[in-house]
Amino acid sequence: MKVHNVFGPVDIAVSGMRAQGQNMEVISSNIANARTADAGQGQPYRRLETILRTQAEGISPVLVDEVLPDQSPLQSIYDPGNPLADSSGFVAMPNVHLPVEMMNLAIASRSYQANAAILKRYQKMVETTLELLR
Amino acid sequence: MIKLDPNVHPTLPNLQPSPAQAENAGAPKSDFLNAIEAAGRYVSKVDDLQQTADASIQDLLTGKNNDITAVVSAVAKADVSFKVLVGVRNKLIEAYKQTMNMPL
Repeated sequence: MKVHNVFGPVDIAVSGMRAQGQNMEVISSNIANARTADAGQGQPYRRLETILRTQAEGISPVLVDEVLPDQSPLQSIYDPGNPLADSSGFVAMPNVHLPVEMMNLAIASRSYQANAAILKRYQKMVETTLELLR
Repeated sequence: MIKLDPNVHPTLPNLQPSPAQAENAGAPKSDFLNAIEAAGRYVSKVDDLQQTADASIQDLLTGKNNDITAVVSAVAKADVSFKVLVGVRNKLIEAYKQTMNMPL
């Protein structure tokens, strides 16, 4: 495994920031659609999950591989007045749980910060090296 | 394994310039010229990175591209390479000035 690219850390840290940004987009979609009973085709919104993978084997930037729907059972709430309610008065609601989403949001934002910190620290390291040139 | 001679005295009389140094002193002009030409070649490469950074900023501002992290990456790379170039240039100019101010 070779480590020789001066801009490698920059690329990897930026890829992490980008992936977490896209993750944040998915989480915000989950939260915005937490009560969406109809997400097209009459089905309630299904919670989405980001799948990350490395670009190559070994030292490598990260990529958002896929955004897949969560297949866990949908919530069913009792709301007889709802026009979408079935004969017994239940409405199918998305399988989004806000506390879980808030947790994922905290993880995503911390991860973004960590990647940004790496980028900043690496730039400082390079600057320290360039100081020797003066 | 590095061979260390504990006896320093035999090395002391050899303080006169070694043959290699004397050889270099014979053609310092071309060496300096080479260094400047090498730095000059990198100017266009650094400029390429600057252009890329510029283009990515423009793409972001005009809405062609929404990826702000790409701008960060391009600008960081352009910044580092430019700083390296400026550092090398300053060193070269310093060397030139020192040579020129040498009392003859």
